Amino acid sequence: MDSGLPTLYRPGDSWLHRRHPLTKLAYAASLAVAGFAAPWPAAAWFLLGALTLPLAAWARLARPLGRALLWSLAPLAAALLIIHGLFNPANHTILASWGELTLGQEGLIYALATLGRLAGALGASLLCLYTTPPGDLMTALQQRGLPAGLAYVLISTLQLLPLMRRRAQAILAAQQARGLRLEGNLLIRARALLPAVIPLVVGALLDVEERALALESRGFSRPGPRTSLQAVPDTALDRSLRWALAAGALVTLVWRWWP
Amino acid sequence: MIELEALSFTYIGGNRPALQAVSLSVAAGEFVVVLGANGAGKTSLCHALTGYIPHFYRGQLTGQARLDGRNTQSLSLAEIVEVAGQVFQNPANQISGVRLTVSEEVAFGLENLAVPAAAMPARIKAALALTGLSALADRSPYALSGGEQQRLALASVLVMQPRLLVLDEPTSMLDPQGARDILLAVAALRQTGLTVVLAEHRLELAAALASRVIVLADGRIVRDGAPQEVLADPALEDYGLIPLRYTQAARLAQARGLWPAQAPMPVTLESAAAGFRRVLRGAA
Ligand SMILES: Nc1ncnc2c1ncn2[C@@H]1O[C@H](COP(=O)(O)OP(=O)(O)OP(=O)(O)O)[C@@H](O)[C@H]1O
Ligand SMILES: [Mg+2]
Repeated sequence: MDSGLPTLYRPGDSWLHRRHPLTKLAYAASLAVAGFAAPWPAAAWFLLGALTLPLAAWARLARPLGRALLWSLAPLAAALLIIHGLFNPANHTILASWGELTLGQEGLIYALATLGRLAGALGASLLCLYTTPPGDLMTALQQRGLPAGLAYVLISTLQLLPLMRRRAQAILAAQQARGLRLEGNLLIRARALLPAVIPLVVGALLDVEERALALESRGFSRPGPRTSLQAVPDTALDRSLRWALAAGALVTLVWRWWP
Repeated sequence: MIELEALSFTYIGGNRPALQAVSLSVAAGEFVVVLGANGAGKTSLCHALTGYIPHFYRGQLTGQARLDGRNTQSLSLAEIVEVAGQVFQNPANQISGVRLTVSEEVAFGLENLAVPAAAMPARIKAALALTGLSALADRSPYALSGGEQQRLALASVLVMQPRLLVLDEPTSMLDPQGARDILLAVAALRQTGLTVVLAEHRLELAAALASRVIVLADGRIVRDGAPQEVLADPALEDYGLIPLRYTQAARLAQARGLWPAQAPMPVTLESAAAGFRRVLRGAA
């Protein structure tokens, strides 16, 4: 995100970069499934720490991944820990207390487990997006029969997130230059943000039309097969990895819900 | 190349026709500049030529548009883009957003048309050369200036080898230098025999590029002819267009009896200079 380019992809030539896009997608999906289905609460944390972070480190992406996870989950983490640690009705084992407030073990474990599942799923997905050129992911999805329109919407939405953020910053800067105040209490700030949000939304909606036309002019709605400038190579290793990941996810599902 | 036959179109929700009984025939190789004030119908005319009317924009359509003798209504948009390409106003909106480099972005159209991968590099290279982007082939499309992005949009359409190129105010969002670069690229295309229709509201551009000028007002064609005739017409002001400075100056001179009553009005810097040289010599 420091590259200034509106994309999550970070160019590189690591082992992970060279994997087929669907292999990385399978990794993200199976880790999410395993984290949610595994019967013990620490499973997702374990998968994050034992698989995703080492893989990221191998691809020299541990630092950006860690930072992204921290920034995106910190507010939620605080909310979950406070709400469940202090106020979860299932809290019976008291770990600590400050006057009226008590910290309960059951709620704390619940909050940490939920957080771990989110962090595990998000971490694996981000690692997939960090190491996969968006075009390759789109090509791979189309080659597996996903309609071009759907593949485009999926990929471009991911691409547009950083773009939207960039535009929001530009609009805010412009509004501040015109006297928009971002200081003051929450209500004042919320009201002040409205004039910044409206151009963002309206701009995005208006642009959709021209974007759609421009895509059409590139032959996007043409039915039938497509070619691609760069081949997206699939290897025997990738295929075995995908089978293994699918099997792993299946095993956790069965383990959890077998009667 | 193009034939419009009494084409009228009212957008859904529009209270009056955006195009009214427009008849027009453009031969291959012509360079037509379409002039008109805001809301005159320039964009709608472009959309009618490239099939977005009626395939994308719904509304009431009468008459017909033919590309290469084939009615656009019975063609699909995917078939039309193999004949006609369009460049739009806003450069940023024409980037697909799913390709990482300029070359890959240009390849996007070829991939959609299922052009074999082996044939792509040569076509991409040629399109980048035509638009002066060769040095930027490996840059991210988002790391380009507005002018460069617009040339990328042009390259992305040219690479598909259309025979008709429609440009809807392609320079309106660019700085003067960006605008000049894209117009130079478009002007260079004249030699390739491509048919070009360019919508504009600035007469200067029409004078410099056009082989033919059409003026739209309220969805109707009100002038159609050679640039020298159309651009010097004093009635253009009534259609909301700003006259050329050269013509304005000559008209002022004429009102004071300096410019001969019969002499044609200048529409280029060269003809204005020649005319005023004559005026000055007469005064001396
Ligand atoms: N999507 C639409 N829905 C309804 N009416 C439309 C739509 N687009 C254009 N119009 C109307 O059609 C008429 C012609 O508009 P058009 O955009 O073709 O003009 P223009 O010459 O391109 O104007 P500008 O210089 O502002 O780009 C206008 O009256 C406009 O309000
Ligand atoms: Mg317009």
